[in-house]
Amino acid sequence: MTEQQSLIELRHVYRSFEKGRVEFPVLQDINLAIRPKEVLCLVGESGCGKTTTGKIIAGLLKPSSGELLYEGENIEKFRGKRRAQVRRATQLVHQDPFSSLNPSHTIGQILGYPLKRHRMVKDRVELRRRIWELLTLVDLTPPGDIVNKYPHQLSGGQRQRVSIARALTVDPNLIVADEAVSMVDVSIRIGILKMLHNLRDVFDLSIVLITHDLALAKYFAWEGRIAVMYLGRIVEIGRTPDVIGNPAHPYTQALLSAVPEADPSITRSKEPMKLRSDEIPSLTAIPSGCAFHPRCPFHQPGFCDVASPRLGVTKQHQQNVACLPLNSGGELVQHDS
Amino acid sequence: MTMNQDVVFSVKNLSMSYLADRGRVRAVNNVSFDLHKGETLAVIGESGCGKSSLNLSLIRQIPRTAEIESGTMDYITREGQHIDVLKLSPARLRKFLWSEVAMVFQGAQNALNPVIRIADMVYDTGKAHGINKAESKKRALRLFEQVRLDPMRVFNAYPHELSGGMRQRVLLALSLILRPQVVIMDEPTTGVDILTQRSILEVLKELRMQLNFSIIFISHDLAVAAEIADTIATMYAGEFVEMGPVRQVFYNPRHAYTLSLLNAAPRLSVGEEELHSIKGSPPDLIDPPSGCKFHERCNFATDICQHTVPPIERDGAHQVACHHSDLVRKERAEVLNK
Amino acid sequence: MIGFETVASPVGLIIGIVCGLIPLGVGLRYGHVKAGVWGFIACAVSGFACGFLGGLPMILMATAVVFSYAYVNKQDPFTSRQSLEEVNFEETTAEYVIRQFAAFGRTLRAMGIGLVRNKGGFIGFLGIMFFAIMSIFGPLVVEYEGSPRMDRRESPQSMTLFQLPSNEFPLGLDWQGRSILSHIVYGGQTLIVTSVQAGLMATLVAVLFGSLAALLGGFVDQILSAFSNFILTIPQFPLLLVLASILTFTSNFMLAVLLAALSWPTLMRAVRAQVLSLRERDYVEAAITLDLGLYHIIVREVFPNMVSYIAINFIFAIRAAMYALVGLVILGMVPLREPDWGIMIWNAQSRGAFYNPNAMMMAFAPIVAIALFQLSLILFTRSLEEIFNPRLRRGL
Repeated sequence: MTEQQSLIELRHVYRSFEKGRVEFPVLQDINLAIRPKEVLCLVGESGCGKTTTGKIIAGLLKPSSGELLYEGENIEKFRGKRRAQVRRATQLVHQDPFSSLNPSHTIGQILGYPLKRHRMVKDRVELRRRIWELLTLVDLTPPGDIVNKYPHQLSGGQRQRVSIARALTVDPNLIVADEAVSMVDVSIRIGILKMLHNLRDVFDLSIVLITHDLALAKYFAWEGRIAVMYLGRIVEIGRTPDVIGNPAHPYTQALLSAVPEADPSITRSKEPMKLRSDEIPSLTAIPSGCAFHPRCPFHQPGFCDVASPRLGVTKQHQQNVACLPLNSGGELVQHDS
Repeated sequence: MTMNQDVVFSVKNLSMSYLADRGRVRAVNNVSFDLHKGETLAVIGESGCGKSSLNLSLIRQIPRTAEIESGTMDYITREGQHIDVLKLSPARLRKFLWSEVAMVFQGAQNALNPVIRIADMVYDTGKAHGINKAESKKRALRLFEQVRLDPMRVFNAYPHELSGGMRQRVLLALSLILRPQVVIMDEPTTGVDILTQRSILEVLKELRMQLNFSIIFISHDLAVAAEIADTIATMYAGEFVEMGPVRQVFYNPRHAYTLSLLNAAPRLSVGEEELHSIKGSPPDLIDPPSGCKFHERCNFATDICQHTVPPIERDGAHQVACHHSDLVRKERAEVLNK
Repeated sequence: MIGFETVASPVGLIIGIVCGLIPLGVGLRYGHVKAGVWGFIACAVSGFACGFLGGLPMILMATAVVFSYAYVNKQDPFTSRQSLEEVNFEETTAEYVIRQFAAFGRTLRAMGIGLVRNKGGFIGFLGIMFFAIMSIFGPLVVEYEGSPRMDRRESPQSMTLFQLPSNEFPLGLDWQGRSILSHIVYGGQTLIVTSVQAGLMATLVAVLFGSLAALLGGFVDQILSAFSNFILTIPQFPLLLVLASILTFTSNFMLAVLLAALSWPTLMRAVRAQVLSLRERDYVEAAITLDLGLYHIIVREVFPNMVSYIAINFIFAIRAAMYALVGLVILGMVPLREPDWGIMIWNAQSRGAFYNPNAMMMAFAPIVAIALFQLSLILFTRSLEEIFNPRLRRGL
């Protein structure tokens, strides 16, 4: 495989928030390269930093330290027009379809503002045609029924489609979809995900889908990659069939074994992995060494709680994992109960 | 399963409607089911299908603009006494709820009063139903242990000192403190993390085994339903369009809507899979479609679906109201064989 | 100021009629005579009432409404049910202008429906209109009685001139035998105008400072917040009393400035909090990633969602200013001239009307007038949310 230049790359990105005098390290040493037209799913539980990562990719948050590269160049180096272009090249689709659209504007206005502002269209006629095109692209047809409506007159799924259309107004290269379908109904989720896949082909988009739903991530990113996050770090990243089919990190294994399945026989024969603790450590007191060690059934005292794991290869897996015993060529052994 | 002998809650032809500006919204339409002892009934459907209205009707906590138009709700106590829930006076209803039928609401883990200790919640619940402090505490501690919490720590804690998953388990324990026969749960695992959901499910399964209560489980999540339900009811436009034993419904669905839901649910154990969403959106319940209410969104729909309301077909415990149940079953078999 | 001399005068009426010809003409041209005639009447009345100040904006609004009837949405290809290939968006500039006007007219009509829909709010609106019309057109009907009317003694022996309401004098007579009705009709003008001025200034300052503090944050926020806190910690009314007794007010406008200067901080804090919360909305974040600019974010994203909130607080500011003003007058701290509702109460008190049942109208009439006006304002705020919030407005 030839090394393709990445569209966006995060290098040693750290990010912390302050609340009062306490500092929360939300992200620690994130290294992530997203290639053009790639589909990547960030999965993890709440508080793992997946949304913060998404916002950094979308340019809404700056890393506390580390670099964000766009087509190989540090994003801070761009100036003037190019800088604005680069900023617009990554767009975010929010989770909540009820708060992502301004209730005071019609759908036509919502799509019109960015088109006008960035001179994406040359006149009024073209503006209106473009709005129609975009609405058709996101399957909101006939567009004439939608353009003069206010967001509250649309269903959650329709609003989410409008959000996506709005992101497309500025011809982005990458869309970060932050739990973009978790608040819409199960029955129409798939439709929106399929549409995203189509748009990816039409616009040559990369898509980063942030989700807590592993089955959905597996479906959406089957030809792409999945990155599993835990307490501000990526613990496992690789091609979806590898991560789902042969999970390496104990945390990924735990998640996969815990997810119920829409199939009574399979879900009832699953054996959830027993963790040593159910408590998720607070961000203010992240455990030393491997952050997962207090819960990990394969914990090796004196090793996992001392050294910090880095993403790397193992003997048994295709994907990259940050697990000390696996990285050092060993195997996972359950020690005591 | 022996019929009728161990029924604890029997609902017949229940209909409930809201009065909106534009007209009457029939949110629950002619719903009937028998809930057996120890049985878990999962009601699944999209938002706006009437699940939550059904929940509120079952505990008679409907909004002022709503009314229960018809139906009977017959509850049978442990002593075999029949209670007509719709005829209970407000005072009797208050006693009845919680002690016979308890509920765990959606997102309730975030709605606990932050200034009341768990202990006081326990005492208040006990007091309202004539149980003294010592007994309340004894029961609560035992239940906290059963839901795998550290009993004394939780008992003396304020809600904010507990994590979301712990609070959800506390609520589960509190709902059982008066030993109800039926617990109604509205989306109890929505919005919680995977591992938390897992621990709630495990605890729920254990408790159900030990205490043998029945559950009405309202959810949009097919996977959770597949895991814990004995019986599945698919709800569409206020009606139970299909109801049957869990394996029957999942492997031999006979309603096009059930099939569509199954075709929209991704599964981890399958590699690359073909999924389909349901076209259109849930119908307007003020002016519902004629015939089968699902026909506008259904891939199997023919003329008959537009004009005729499908009759209920029964096959043992499996009942369905679909004109094309055979086609549906055939298609599901093809998908499963693939 | 332009138009003030034409208030409720024949000149104003002429201005109004001339203005009204425009919507009338548009109505005739597009075959919506009824809408055109109503537009004509609206222009004529508001021109008569306020001269150019009322006539000119009314032209815009009435014409827009007439267009909104003439140009129905269906004619716009933008809202047609054709497919992308079939639809043709070409249009002339005239068509474009008409379309814009029609859209504005539809919004106005939706706002009108919002106004009427809430019963309480509409009653409040009618109350405000009643006082406005009484103050503007009342002088055409009722003559002002400024000097004592000794001739109205019931009998030559009678010591007092007080009278309870009668057919001749609907609100009775005061201690100098003057018609209380005439004082009610004339006495609201200054009070209402000064309160509105004070409310307007307080709101403007509050919105400006509040948005600046919330959007710029940091040092600006600290300074502005500290300043407003400083003013808030001073007991308002006593300070007002002290200031009013030290300063000599040459005009009512100065008084309005003083009232506004003391009342903006409460509203500013509310606006600041509102902007802070709106700033965090997802759609603002989306506007940032779309690089729509700070001006767009303030004017298009944040402000429209605050209009009803600001309007409600504007009404409350007027209300508070009026109370403060009346309070100052009753205490005799402001050398306002008659006629004035506040001075009527002061007179009632100093002439002992509180102890004489026959003189009760002297106190009763102004108190009821003020209370009713205040009540109308408060009731009206109920409609504001429905007027300005598109979520509550019913689509046309």
